[in-house]
Amino acid sequence: MTVAQTEKAKTKLKIEGRPGQTSPWLASPTVIFLFAVIGIPLAITVIYSLLDRAKIGMGVVWTFNPKAYKDLFVIENLDGTTGLDTRYLKVMWNSFKYSGITTIVTIVLSIPIAMWIATRAESKRNILVAAVTLPFWISILIRTYGLRQIIDDNGPIGWIMHKVGDANYHIIYTPIATVIGLIYVFLPFMILPIYASAERFDFRYAEAAYDLGAKRWTVFRRIVIPAIRPGIYAGIALVFIPALGSFLQSDMLGGGKTNMIANVIALNFGQARNWPFGCALSVFLILITLLFVWIIRKLGARTGTEVKLI
Amino acid sequence: MESKKRQRASYAAALAAVTALLLTACGSSSTGAANNGGGSAGAFPTSGTGEVHIYNWTDYIDPDQITAFTKETGIKVVLDTFDSNETALAKLQSGATGYDVVFPSDYMVKQMIELKLLQKIDVTTFPNGGGLKTTMQGVYWDPKREYSAPWMYGTTGIACNTKAEPKCANIKSWHDWFTVGLPKMDSLKDQTEVVSAALRATGVAAADLCTTDKSKYSAAADLLKGFKPAVIDSDSGIERVIAGTSNVRMAWNGSTHRMTEKVPSVEYIYPSEGLNLWADNMVVPVGAPDLDNAKIFINWMMDPKNAAAESNFTGYDNGIVGSDAFMNASMKSDPAVVVPADKMALISPTPACDQAARDLYTQVFTTWLGEQ
Amino acid sequence: MSSSFLQISNVKKTFTTPEGGEVHALDDVSLDINSGEFFVMLGPSGCGKTTLLRSIAGLEYPDSGTITLDGQRIDDLPAYDRPVNTVFQSYALFPHMTVGENIAFGLEMEKIEKSEITRRVSDALDQVKLSGLENRKPTQLSGGQQQRVALARALAKKPKVLLLDEPLSALDLKLRRGMQIELKRLQQDTGITFVFVTHDQEEAMSMGDRIAVFKDGKIIQLDTPREIYRRPVNSFVADFIGETNLLDGTADNLGVKVAGGGFIARELIAPDCQVPAAGQVTIAIRPEDFEISTTTGAISGIVRDVIFTGDSVRVHVDLGATEVVATLPSYGERVPDRGATISLNPLPQSARTVAS
Repeated sequence: MTVAQTEKAKTKLKIEGRPGQTSPWLASPTVIFLFAVIGIPLAITVIYSLLDRAKIGMGVVWTFNPKAYKDLFVIENLDGTTGLDTRYLKVMWNSFKYSGITTIVTIVLSIPIAMWIATRAESKRNILVAAVTLPFWISILIRTYGLRQIIDDNGPIGWIMHKVGDANYHIIYTPIATVIGLIYVFLPFMILPIYASAERFDFRYAEAAYDLGAKRWTVFRRIVIPAIRPGIYAGIALVFIPALGSFLQSDMLGGGKTNMIANVIALNFGQARNWPFGCALSVFLILITLLFVWIIRKLGARTGTEVKLI
Repeated sequence: MESKKRQRASYAAALAAVTALLLTACGSSSTGAANNGGGSAGAFPTSGTGEVHIYNWTDYIDPDQITAFTKETGIKVVLDTFDSNETALAKLQSGATGYDVVFPSDYMVKQMIELKLLQKIDVTTFPNGGGLKTTMQGVYWDPKREYSAPWMYGTTGIACNTKAEPKCANIKSWHDWFTVGLPKMDSLKDQTEVVSAALRATGVAAADLCTTDKSKYSAAADLLKGFKPAVIDSDSGIERVIAGTSNVRMAWNGSTHRMTEKVPSVEYIYPSEGLNLWADNMVVPVGAPDLDNAKIFINWMMDPKNAAAESNFTGYDNGIVGSDAFMNASMKSDPAVVVPADKMALISPTPACDQAARDLYTQVFTTWLGEQ
Repeated sequence: MSSSFLQISNVKKTFTTPEGGEVHALDDVSLDINSGEFFVMLGPSGCGKTTLLRSIAGLEYPDSGTITLDGQRIDDLPAYDRPVNTVFQSYALFPHMTVGENIAFGLEMEKIEKSEITRRVSDALDQVKLSGLENRKPTQLSGGQQQRVALARALAKKPKVLLLDEPLSALDLKLRRGMQIELKRLQQDTGITFVFVTHDQEEAMSMGDRIAVFKDGKIIQLDTPREIYRRPVNSFVADFIGETNLLDGTADNLGVKVAGGGFIARELIAPDCQVPAAGQVTIAIRPEDFEISTTTGAISGIVRDVIFTGDSVRVHVDLGATEVVATLPSYGERVPDRGATISLNPLPQSARTVAS
């Protein structure tokens, strides 16, 4: 092959990519779509948060006004004084608390079930994984209604609790119900990534550890957990972040009293009709979420696990 | 479900609002179009072809009536639903056309007129336009009934199960409601209803409910501080009262009527400081595809017999004279549905406040929610 | 030296196959392994040797039978309480730990002091000639290095018995040869009892003090490599260990008449073999035990292939009914040509009768 031919072949390779690689242009519809459904709304949210709201009706008018951000932290009290507004910080803290508890509980619940599924015969594994995803077949609204009936004082669980003598059983319309609802909804999102890691786990490592004198718990803590850590981190990303922005559970199960940040955002788009403030709250939530993602990545880097959340 | 209407599920509302947000961003210039949609000229149509697209609250129209309408007029009905006035407004403001008849509440009609979203249809010139109850004439949101025809109306008071809660008799006012501190108390999750009740309880007159005097709101906020109901939501009241998980509840009168049907010991309390009257309406938005069909539909629904059928379905009274003759006996005898004469003076329209007052409502309401 | 350092008595283990059948992985196996011995368990895959090794390690529990180590019953102890350690076929080095952490892991389980652990880790690495690689991750090592780390990890525990489950099977031939020698020296230096599982007969013979040949969950023969090679108890062992020509024949007073032609006289058959006066017998002759006869030999046939392997020449001879292989010196002029007819004689007393 002459030099010119070689160059020609190289150029061709550059254009067509390696065998099995499709043209980068094929990705463009997806890129455009993602930009349209993520990028544009995000831009609108940021822009609207910096505008004035309409005098009547919904929406905004196109005058710059950063007041919404001031309103996040500064309250103009009814007595005319101003002070630090802790209401939204509190709501944010609540959201973090409920999402955090949800994340921890789902991790604890998911690891044994994921390990159990991963150690079944392959044919059974597929059925079990399908069973984990079964809830996705039903609308989240209907499932949450169902859960409300189940944990109600007069529901089956209440009936059992009263039978076994706990006359004070009362979970529905408390923060506990909210968290139960969150756990219920997000559990599959924790099980599946952990299972994906656990399935790849080579049980010969556990045998080796066992052989080296490690007892069951030590094997689990020092060998199994590090091996499924990527799955756990992925699960945290898939559970914590959406849980932070969920509002159905606090609305329907928490009796409307356990406010999460999304409930406040909803209120501002609805009854309060303050879209700029709703947008500012959304931006606040996004920033906090990004901060969290950053922390997770740092943690991952420290333990030597590469975590790719975004 | 709370009622045949007003399932104010805020999650859906928020989703709709966000959708609308996207749509408005792409520019909406359909508002502000001419709002005199002709119609008064020529004979009033009584039958038509094609479809009429209606946009109503969830579960707020009798399906049998829709069938009957199509049978009588030859017009097919296409139904879409919303769950809050704000959702409906967001949709219309985003430039959505395609609806012939929309069912907003009082204050929302006023806003829609101000935003030039509605067509002038002069309801009083309709064949059934002479049958409006006097209370439904000269209304503040549409004094001449140029844009809106009456639909159902109702009040927001207190439902109390006298058998399960002996202290029902102690609740005579909003002030009692906020301070009685009973277990199994539920509140609506509605900032207008909750805050206006608190304002009334702290001595604000009905006419002054849109005040911007912060000290008034301060007093209301103080009163709300100690008010911690078991549940704050707007969508599960009836089932909870029937199940016995709730004994005292801030409730709409129609919901209360439906509770009473299952639990006769539920009574509807008219708080002594007064209570809000809300009234839903039928309006024709600008850009409606078929104005004639819209008018035929509205006129048909204003027929006393048809209005009564809708009342029997929804549990709320309507604004049409002579409809009581066709209403169920249980409705007519229920003091929750038909306002007793001595309570008439307590009723005033739900306040339709401007932005400044609304902000104060929001502030009080958000603070209260945050304290739960 | 105790004669019964590691004593395996009547161990049985049955697995159920997915199809519902039963496999006797260990069918009443009894075995005594001496202290300080390099003991090899040899057999084709599925013969039960690995199951027995795992039973000693505690990774498998026998259905019945006992295992005693240094006077103490260990078959009812969990793996972590047994003073034995294993070098796994896959090495099973923990991928999230460094080499040093891998070796230290087992020591940490014994609650040994930190400085002592550090010392023993570096000793263990010295032993396997990997000093200074403490901070590497296993994935950064070659296969041979990983093998050594696995060895170091197990040795650092100072086990009474070191179990090795086909540890060299993943290495290439040259590396494997080197490691065989090293392992043997390591065993001699440390004096630790090694139990080594392999399916490679050459490996078994070059390393083992004694070899147990397994087949279908049973020990077929247990002896020194030399004895097993020279005196296989049956045709399976004869064929599995080394290379053997098996010839069917009929015995008479003078010797054995080979089916398809040829005759092996009694003086060519090893004296410890009982040749019956009559009846069917199988004769085993190692390829290297043949020599070419210039006159009429015991057997004769046509040369089919002549394969030069460097140090020797393998000659495939077609006897008509069967084919034999003879390994001849590669030097000299007596290397036959393809197609030639030649006669072969076994060396005196080198042919053996074997049970089939």
